[in-house]
Amino acid sequence: MPVIRQELKGENLDFLTLLRYIASGTAYTFGVTVIALPSGLLIGTLLAFLYVYGGKGIGKVMNVYSTVMRGIPPLVLLFLLYFVVSKGINLSGFWAGSISLGIVSSAYQMEIIRGALLSVGNDQLMAARAVGLSRRQAVINIVLPQALRLAIPPWSNEAAIIIKDSSLVYALGVPEILRRAQLIGASTHQPLLAYLSAALIYFVLVTVTNRLLNLLEKKLTVPSNH
Amino acid sequence: MKKFLQYFIVVLLLLSLLSACGAKTDSVLNKIKTDGKIVVGTSADYAPYEYLDEAGNKTGFDIELMEEIGKRMGVTIEWQDMPFDSLVAAVASGKLDMSISCFNYDEERDLTVDFSEAYYTTEDAFVVSSAFAGEFNVPEDAAKYKLGVQSGTMQDDWITENLVNAGLMPEANLSRYERVDQVALDLLAGRIDIMMADHLPVLEIAKKNPDLKIVYQGELSTGPINIVLPEGDTAIKKEIDKVIKILQDEGFIDELAKKYFSE
Repeated sequence: MPVIRQELKGENLDFLTLLRYIASGTAYTFGVTVIALPSGLLIGTLLAFLYVYGGKGIGKVMNVYSTVMRGIPPLVLLFLLYFVVSKGINLSGFWAGSISLGIVSSAYQMEIIRGALLSVGNDQLMAARAVGLSRRQAVINIVLPQALRLAIPPWSNEAAIIIKDSSLVYALGVPEILRRAQLIGASTHQPLLAYLSAALIYFVLVTVTNRLLNLLEKKLTVPSNH
Repeated sequence: MKKFLQYFIVVLLLLSLLSACGAKTDSVLNKIKTDGKIVVGTSADYAPYEYLDEAGNKTGFDIELMEEIGKRMGVTIEWQDMPFDSLVAAVASGKLDMSISCFNYDEERDLTVDFSEAYYTTEDAFVVSSAFAGEFNVPEDAAKYKLGVQSGTMQDDWITENLVNAGLMPEANLSRYERVDQVALDLLAGRIDIMMADHLPVLEIAKKNPDLKIVYQGELSTGPINIVLPEGDTAIKKEIDKVIKILQDEGFIDELAKKYFSE
């Protein structure tokens, strides 16, 4: 406690200025998340379909993709994309970060959707086939709507992870929340206050996102499931 | 596992193939002249060399010097903040035209980037907190205590070579941090006994924390500081060296040092 009090008493400290400076990095955090999460969902869903319904060979390829992408730390992929691959094509730190997080996330989201597809079960697919739907119709109209509902809880976990992982782009000099906290913490000699502010902003972002997804989950629940 | 390794190697090979396409031969100087700007990287968490003022703008010795260099070359400076560890890689990969961030010459860094002529000289310092009860007479005494340093710096290299590799201290007693203010925080918290850093930045920190005491000041790992330039680019090196020489002869750099480094 005495430490905190001492920090707060620091001379040229204006807490609102500090918070405002750090919070203005939210635009980047938001931007990275809004690119990485949906693109990961799109790619992940496509790959999950290939994994589950694409036959043995394709399934194996998907398994390798998932293993490799989940095995590489996101920061390594970020450096590879920014410093190595994008020597030719000029990719900004923001885009290199968003794309690599999207790629990593696509592997996780593929596993989420795959799990959801599998847990809907084959019975549903067979029943749909029995009443005369084609395989494609059955998957798209019967299995997918149920699977996506089942995927919402684990997916909201993934959303929280991406929001927090978006801070990794600080390593490429993107002035998002964490990098701003570092800079202002170093220049005002108030690191505790700076990092607490950053933590507060992340906490609000993640909580609001999870609340919204909870609402979505409730709204989409099929009554007969209970 | 073996199979996984095979796949991994294939992916890496593909990546390196892609990167090979981007080799360039043109001097950065031409690009600077056509664009009318230099993209300069710095890690703005290192007062008094580079830091943020109250309004959140970059300022400091390096910043003002680089702005003047740009002015003399007739171009503007586009600042790109980046963590110190990433700067050399960013210049080497062409993400930045150059970087000014209190860089000392270093053989390892020289493998991937070039250095301008020196524009100033720095010193090292050892710092303890007021709780320190041990003895400190020569730099090697640091090996007897728990030591902290900013990673990837000249001081880090000096400690690793002269204290750790020389067998004077176990590596477990050395803590490496991403930034210099983190080292000072851990020193104040008592997790380390002593820290080694560039003299001026740590003096800046000590001024705000009366509990910190500088026990040694001198040239061990440091010395001349230079601007980091793209590897093998003689045209840009010639131009930058020329401007640095002019600014030294005019006394501009001495004036700047007085402004930022006097107590």
